[in-house]
Amino acid sequence: MTRQIHFNAFDMNCVGHQSPGLWAHPRDRSWQYKDLEYWTDLAKLLERGKFDGVFIADVLGVYDVYKGNLDTALRVSTQIPVNDPLQLVPAMALVTEHLGFGVTASISFEHPYTFARRISTLDHLTKGRAGWNIVTSYLESGARNIGLGSQTQHDDRYEVADEYMEVVYKLWEGSWADDAVLRDRERRIFTDPTKVRPIRHEGKHYKVPGFHLSEPSPQRTPVLYQAGASSRGQRFAGEHAECVFVATPSKTVLKKTVAAIRRSVAEAGRDPRGVLIFNLQTVIVDETDAKAKAKYEDYKQYIDLDGALALGSGWMGIDFGAYGLDEPLRHIKTNAVQSSIDAFSSADPSKVWTVRELAEWIGIGGLGPLIVGGSQTVADTLQEWVEETDVDGFNLAYAVTHETFADIVEHLVPELQKRGVYRRDYTPGTLREKLFGAGSRLPDTHPGASYRDLDAAARRSRAAAE
Amino acid sequence: MTKEIRLNAFEMNCVAHQSPGLWRHPRDRSRDYKRLDYWIELAKILERGLFDGLFIADVLGVYDVFGGDARAALTHAAQIPVNDPLLLVSAMAAVTRHLGFGVTANLSFEPPYTFARRMSTLDHLTEGRVGWNIVTGYLDSAARGAGREKQTAHDDRYDIADEYMQVVYKLWEGSWADDAVKADAETGVFTDPDKVRKAVHQGEHFWLDALHLSEPSPQRTPVLYQAGTSPAGRLFAGRHAECVFLSGPSKVAIAPRVAGLRANAASVGRDAHSLRIFALATTILGATDEEARAKLADYRQYADLEAALTLLSGWTGVDFAKLDPDQLVQHVENEAGRTALENITRADPNRTWTVRQAAEHVALGGLGPVFVGSPSTVADQLEEWVDATDIDGFNLAFAVRPETFADVSDLLVPELQRRGRYKTVYPEGTLREKLFGGSPRLQAPHVGAGYRWS
Repeated sequence: MTRQIHFNAFDMNCVGHQSPGLWAHPRDRSWQYKDLEYWTDLAKLLERGKFDGVFIADVLGVYDVYKGNLDTALRVSTQIPVNDPLQLVPAMALVTEHLGFGVTASISFEHPYTFARRISTLDHLTKGRAGWNIVTSYLESGARNIGLGSQTQHDDRYEVADEYMEVVYKLWEGSWADDAVLRDRERRIFTDPTKVRPIRHEGKHYKVPGFHLSEPSPQRTPVLYQAGASSRGQRFAGEHAECVFVATPSKTVLKKTVAAIRRSVAEAGRDPRGVLIFNLQTVIVDETDAKAKAKYEDYKQYIDLDGALALGSGWMGIDFGAYGLDEPLRHIKTNAVQSSIDAFSSADPSKVWTVRELAEWIGIGGLGPLIVGGSQTVADTLQEWVEETDVDGFNLAYAVTHETFADIVEHLVPELQKRGVYRRDYTPGTLREKLFGAGSRLPDTHPGASYRDLDAAARRSRAAAE
Repeated sequence: MTKEIRLNAFEMNCVAHQSPGLWRHPRDRSRDYKRLDYWIELAKILERGLFDGLFIADVLGVYDVFGGDARAALTHAAQIPVNDPLLLVSAMAAVTRHLGFGVTANLSFEPPYTFARRMSTLDHLTEGRVGWNIVTGYLDSAARGAGREKQTAHDDRYDIADEYMQVVYKLWEGSWADDAVKADAETGVFTDPDKVRKAVHQGEHFWLDALHLSEPSPQRTPVLYQAGTSPAGRLFAGRHAECVFLSGPSKVAIAPRVAGLRANAASVGRDAHSLRIFALATTILGATDEEARAKLADYRQYADLEAALTLLSGWTGVDFAKLDPDQLVQHVENEAGRTALENITRADPNRTWTVRQAAEHVALGGLGPVFVGSPSTVADQLEEWVDATDIDGFNLAFAVRPETFADVSDLLVPELQRRGRYKTVYPEGTLREKLFGGSPRLQAPHVGAGYRWS
């Protein structure tokens, strides 16, 4: 079987994204995240390796669960300081032609009216290479810091998210007709006013009477990414997402997760194979197994266990600082975190995992699995993952940047191309066309497409209310 | 000693900015506003002309005062469609080294916590070349877009804005010590936790208990621009602004506002001349006066009076569609920009404006003057304006894009340099250092400097 494998690069506008402490490695550049060259160099490298895209994570909050304070997070720089992801894209777009850009933005932090314009602007400037990773959750501290009171916290965040999506779909898909912009010099008409419509949205959480400020961009709605793994999150992904990111440490769990996501997509009336699913993965690859192993041993010295536990504590919602490093994880019994600990232990269920081993695992590549080996070994392993779990590709984190990505481009990509499972050339067109091979717009079966006709959408919503 | 003249380019991420209708000119590239290559080319032209900066306006609303709907605005692309300004900067920064970027952001549309991070990110990526034009709002349609019935009353807007500024100063200036980031590979300490503290704010409009998410950027607080010249706006500018943009059709209209702004800065203990004031203007240049006049005549054919009145209605809050073209414009009070209307009513006691005259004026270069002629003629006029009004320079709008700016860089700038009134090289350093000399940071007695980590 020659199933195609997709690669995304997983990054964040911060130091040492998923590999706490490795910024201190002499060859690591992640501390240069503030410089444009860091990002333009990365973009060129990824395009050389025919990556689908670079996916820029974001967290508008801090990792302060560990030991109940921020000291470790700051000292090791676990995702703090962290800058805005959106503004990296135009500079990277300037030096590339094909690479896609998945930008994380939480719906809790910006009004849909202005957010829709930001994304349309990106889609214009990148000529249709913009993607949006929809984040519905927020840290409580984050919500307070933007002045949202308790009323928002009591609302079901997915109910708010569904309405937010409705507003942006109306703006992106329904407000401007395809032929609204005439640019007719003779008749002095730039836009035909009869082809632009106010969306007149009046919902429980948002009220947006006006029309979209941007003219139609190549994709209109950006490619939609989602990373929610909870069951409600999977339902949301089933309805809206075109690409889903998961961070699963083992094939057993990944296989179940992939099946569950495809089921949610099918239940939402969409083609379950029309959604691309990417697992977080870190690859340390070289010419030979021995060389790769040596590289790994070198990297490992720089892992900061405290920093790893600060990340782990934030992700799992438990203060690992309250336990000894050699305490077995199964002793940590809290309802809230049991499921994430169980999921993690599935990386090797026969083993007694300790806090230290969790920290070492997280230390390179976060919760995703780490694959170390020569190009043959790594290619074999990735193909196994794809075949056994039905995942479509990998969201590749770095250990040492840009070295991790450069190694993949130099050693792994040619091997996968030789095996006929990785693209040799980009297909022309927008990100959506590159990913799915069809048009540059949302497919008709996607709920966003139903807002192209705002009258019909209004009739549907009236009928639903009655 | 003759005062140095400074130039800014005035742009917007849209089709027709201050010269509606001229997108139809065969050489105009306005329609390429969606393309990165347009902005890259522009940035290079401006850096060639040693412009201090590129100032990107923004309006989060539609010009729907004229005729009571958006039809005219859409037809003529009068600042609609309009894309986000912020996203243009990083790509332009990648191809320039000195040019500054003044980005307009309306503080009604984003909480200070996330906005402060956006600006710090830009200041990092541009290596300290970013400025923020603080906007408090002016189109009702923008407020409605964000789900409010109408915009906040004019004077209250400035109270909210003052509090917003307190919050962003706390984040930018006070949250991280200068030496907080160690990036010490030996000890593995990236940030010294004792040198970072939460910005705490419990006010009437904003609440904050968080550290700033970005590490210290070269300027910390971006260079602060303001364009409001109403009495309340002038007070606000006196407290916060380092650069002020104003627009008026004549020296008589401008001079008292400049004096007022400087007096307000002085009244809060600042050096009145530490405020850089830029007046809106458009230049149409040729090798000779005759050539320039021919260019003007050519441009004029494309000017669009209805589009001009659409903009003017938005700026003043008055529906000019209801007025007879030969009627005199009268002053009224409303919540839109007050000064815009004064420009064509009572700012100059020796001049009255009919609706048609106002439209003709606005159609090329908006509310500012248009200087037409050879480099020497235009340089004379610029010098006269600077000397008579005490402004520091000009915020230059375009007639034809980017031809107007290329003409400035290639024809006008060399003439100003010959006269010793224009820089011949960029000073090194951040935008703030280029504009004021001295430090990349806000300095006392500026109110923002009081929030610094100590």
